[in-house]
Amino acid sequence: MAASALPKLRARPKGLGFLRSLVRFFAELRDAVAQAARSLLAHKLRAALTIAGVAVGIMAVIIIFMVEAGMASSFAKQLNSLGPNTLYVHKWAWGVNGRDWWKLRNRPTVGQLDYRALVANTRLAEAIAPVAETEAVVVRGDKELKNVEVNGTTEAFLESGGWQLRRGRFISDLDHEIGSDACVIGADVEDAVFKNQDPLGQRLRVGPIMRCTVVGSLVRKGTAFGRSQDGLLVLPLSSFLRSFGAKRGLTIAVVAPAGKVMETEDEIISVMRAARRLGPDQDDNFSVNRQDKILQGFNQTMMSVNIVGILVGVITAIVAGIGIMNILLVSVKERTREIGIRRALGARRASILMQFLCEAVMVALLGGALGVALGAGAAALIDILSPMPASIDPRVVVGGVLGSCILGAVFGLWPALSAAFLHPIEALRHE
Amino acid sequence: MALIELDHIGKTYDLGLSKVAALHDIHFAIEPGEFVAIIGQSGSGKSTLMNILGCLDVPTTGRYRLAGRDVSELSDDELADVRNQEIGFIFQSFQLLPRASALENVELPLIYRGIPRKERRDRAVDALERVQLASRMTHKPTELSGGQRQRVAIARALVTEPSLLLADEPTGNLDSRTGEEIVGLFLELHRKGNTIVLVTHEPRLAARCPRAVRIVDGLVVADGPGREVAMANAEAMGAEVVAQVLAAQAAAEAHAKEEA
Repeated sequence: MAASALPKLRARPKGLGFLRSLVRFFAELRDAVAQAARSLLAHKLRAALTIAGVAVGIMAVIIIFMVEAGMASSFAKQLNSLGPNTLYVHKWAWGVNGRDWWKLRNRPTVGQLDYRALVANTRLAEAIAPVAETEAVVVRGDKELKNVEVNGTTEAFLESGGWQLRRGRFISDLDHEIGSDACVIGADVEDAVFKNQDPLGQRLRVGPIMRCTVVGSLVRKGTAFGRSQDGLLVLPLSSFLRSFGAKRGLTIAVVAPAGKVMETEDEIISVMRAARRLGPDQDDNFSVNRQDKILQGFNQTMMSVNIVGILVGVITAIVAGIGIMNILLVSVKERTREIGIRRALGARRASILMQFLCEAVMVALLGGALGVALGAGAAALIDILSPMPASIDPRVVVGGVLGSCILGAVFGLWPALSAAFLHPIEALRHE
Repeated sequence: MALIELDHIGKTYDLGLSKVAALHDIHFAIEPGEFVAIIGQSGSGKSTLMNILGCLDVPTTGRYRLAGRDVSELSDDELADVRNQEIGFIFQSFQLLPRASALENVELPLIYRGIPRKERRDRAVDALERVQLASRMTHKPTELSGGQRQRVAIARALVTEPSLLLADEPTGNLDSRTGEEIVGLFLELHRKGNTIVLVTHEPRLAARCPRAVRIVDGLVVADGPGREVAMANAEAMGAEVVAQVLAAQAAAEAHAKEEA
C-alpha cells in the first residue's frame, strides 16, 4: 500500500472525559499516597531523620511565636496597671527615639504654672495630679533602703495612678498647701523598713535633709516592665520641691473620664497652648503622653523580635526543606525504573510529578504534625515552669500543618520535576 | 486497514558532536491479528524501532500510524495516553513494581485509564486468570519465579485490551523451558486474535512466528515467513548449527500439526 500517501494528520488520542479523568485523578492520588508510604517505610531511618528535621524546625517557629504572643499579652496587662484613662503631660514624649531628642530637650519643663493652668481651665478632667520625682535613700534608725522612688504630688495622685490605701490616709491638698512633713509609703518600703510594725506616725529620713512622718501606706501593685512599682515614697509636692529643688520638671497626670480620652487630650493641649501663649504657627512645646505611646515603643521592639523570629523560621524551614529535597532526590534515583514503567504504562508527566510531591508532602506533614505536638508540649512546659502564660493557639496548629505542607511542596518540586521529565526509555534502562 | 503503518521511518540521535542514524527508511505495515518478530543483532536498530512502535520515542523522519492515528508528532502527554490505550508492553526484565503485589501491578495501567476501583480489580483478576496466575495474586514479584513474573507482565499488558502487544526479548531472562512456556502463551494469544510484535535477537524464537522482519544497520533486509527469515539470518551468520536446529524444529512442528 502507498503509505507515503498518508495525510499528515495529527490525531490526538481520545480524551477520557470528565468522570474518567476524575476517577483517574483520585486513583492516582491513592496510589501515590500508598507508594509514598511504602517508600518511607522501606527506609525508616532515613525518613525518620528527615521528619525529625522538619519537626524541630516547625517546633522552633511555634515556640518563638508563642513566646512573642506571651510577651505581648503580659505587656498589655502591665500597661493597664498604669491607669487606663490617665494622660501624662510632660516635657518629653514617650516612645521617642534619638532623632527627635534635640528638638525636645530645648522645650521648657512642665512646671507649677502649667499645673495651675490645667486645674483652672480644664472641665473634662476628673483629677489632675502634678508629680515630681527623684530617687533617694530612705533611712530609719539603722535601716536603710536605697533607690526609693520619691514622688512629690497632691491628693489626686491616688486616683490618677490607680492606687489604693492600705493604712492611714493619703497626702491631702492641705499637706501640699502648708508643705507638711507627711509621707505615704509603698508596700516595698513598708515591708523593708517596718517589718511587722505599724508604720503610722513613724519618722523617716528621705535623702540627705528631708525628714517626714508616715501617715499612710499603699496596697501592693506589683511589677510593671520588670520593675517593682511599690518601692515608692510619696510627699506633698511643695515639701518635695523645697527639699529636692524647686526647678524640677513635673509630670502632670490627668485622669480623663472613661471613653473621653481623646476629648480630654484635646482640651489639655488647648489649655497648655493658651497658658504658654503659643501662636498658631508654633509647635506644641510639651507632650501629652498616653499608654498607647508606650505601646508604640513596645511594638517597635516586638517588630524586631518578630523579624528575628521570622528569620529563624525561614532558616529552619530552609534546613528542613533541604532535608526533604535530599530524601526525595534519593527516592527519585531509587525509583527511576518505576518511573519508566509507569510512563510506559500510560502515566503522564503530571502523574509522576504528583507521585513525588505526595512523598515530599507526606514527609513534611508528618514532620509538621510532630513539630506542632512538640510545640504544644513545650507550651505546656513553659506554662508550668515560667511565670509567662503560654498556650498553643489553634491557628498555630493549622499554620504549622499548612506551612509544612507548603514546605514539602516547594522543596519537593525540583526533584519531582526532574523525575517527571526523565525520558521513559532512559528511566526503563536504569539499573 | 493496517494496524501499524511505518512510512519511511528514520531516527537519528544527536550526540552533540556527531549524529548517529539508528534507523534508515523503515517501511512496512502490520495487519491486525499478525504475530511478527523483529529480529536483529544488538546495534541493528531493533530497540530503536521497538521504542518508536511503542510510542516511547518519536521518529526524526517519516510517519508512524498506529490504529489509523498519526503518532509521529504527538506531545509527550498524548503519547502517554496512546501507550495506555493501544499498547501492552512486555519487557525482557519484566519491569514490575517491586513493592506492589501481582494484582496491583496488573491494575496499574487501568489507573491511568480512569477505571473505577471495583472494575479495575475484576479486570486484573481476569487477566491473571488468563495467564494461570490467579493463585499468586497477592504475591510480590520477589516471591515469584522468573516465568511467573513474566506472566504477570503479560497479564498487565493484556488487561487494557490493547490493539498491540509489544514484547522486547520476553524470554531473554528465562531458562529455555520457561521461555518455551512463554512462547507457547504468545502463540495462544495470537490464535485468540491478538496482534503481537516480538523483538528478539534469537532466530530460534523468530522461527516460531508466522512473520519476521530482519533489521541490519537500521534497514529492513528481510520480511517474510518467520522460519525462512530466521533461517536466512542464521545462515548469514554462518551458524550452520543454528540452521539445523531450526530445520529440525520446523519439522517437529509440521509433524505436530499433521497429528492435530
